[in-house]
Amino acid sequence: MKGIIYAVLGGICITLQAVVNSRISQDIGILQTITVTQFTGFILASFILLFVRDGNYTQIKRVKSPYLFAGAFGLFIIFNEVTAIQSIGVTLTMSVLLIAQIVMAFLIDAKGLFGLEKKKLSVPQFIGIGMMIAGVIVMQL
Amino acid sequence: MVMGILLAASAGAAISLQTVFNNKVNEKTGNWTTTVIALGMGFVFSLMVSLLVGGLSSFQLNQLETWYWFGGIIGVGVVFCLVQAIKRLGPTFTISIVLTAQLSTAFFWDSMGWLGLEQIPYSFNKLAGIIIIIGGVLVFKYKSPGSENETSHSN
Repeated sequence: MKGIIYAVLGGICITLQAVVNSRISQDIGILQTITVTQFTGFILASFILLFVRDGNYTQIKRVKSPYLFAGAFGLFIIFNEVTAIQSIGVTLTMSVLLIAQIVMAFLIDAKGLFGLEKKKLSVPQFIGIGMMIAGVIVMQL
Repeated sequence: MVMGILLAASAGAAISLQTVFNNKVNEKTGNWTTTVIALGMGFVFSLMVSLLVGGLSSFQLNQLETWYWFGGIIGVGVVFCLVQAIKRLGPTFTISIVLTAQLSTAFFWDSMGWLGLEQIPYSFNKLAGIIIIIGGVLVFKYKSPGSENETSHSN
């Protein structure tokens, strides 16, 4: 039950974050908004790391360096998300974003990119993607 | 409209890429180390781009209101909740619940038009579309073992 509550809260927070970013960017501009929210998140996460100390942060040196730069995608992601929300609304933005996310994750798996194990595309996946796209079309009817 | 859809789709694709990269960091270190690196990198990169585009004057510190801090706090809350949920439920079940909550919140927000967003009236089509999308996610996840890659969303 606790797990379900965390999952629901997590989902609510993902949308809430996009909406809050969109609102702040009306005041101070979108690039500034991204800088400020990444900074405050960074500070808070650093504090949590100090107390939690999960895993082993000294192993950072063993991570291939390009992967450490993944955070730079944050700018692109939040910029596009906020701009999309302002033009097509939260529901359509989140729906399209989710579908692209799922399809992209699956393409990465199917091709076995970035050293991940290759996975085969099977019938349920095709039907699932078809249904998700149909859902977006129904929204626009 | 088309532009908005393209922007949302490219953001979604980028989230998956970022997630794969973050998982690589996560394998060697841990959830919070990964989050700190991702947000720190995001901060440095967006600060550089902001300064390049707008110069120093683009940051008027006196314009920053205290509640803006919530933007970043919510992002960290996302990571915390997802980590806790996956630990208890596993990635597939977690993602199905997260997506449902995410879309329902979006639908609710559009209908209310809170925080200065344009209000988009409730419609049956929107609700039906969301239910079909969630159904699609459930079918997609059916016996799909490789689904743990879109779990940690840390920006």
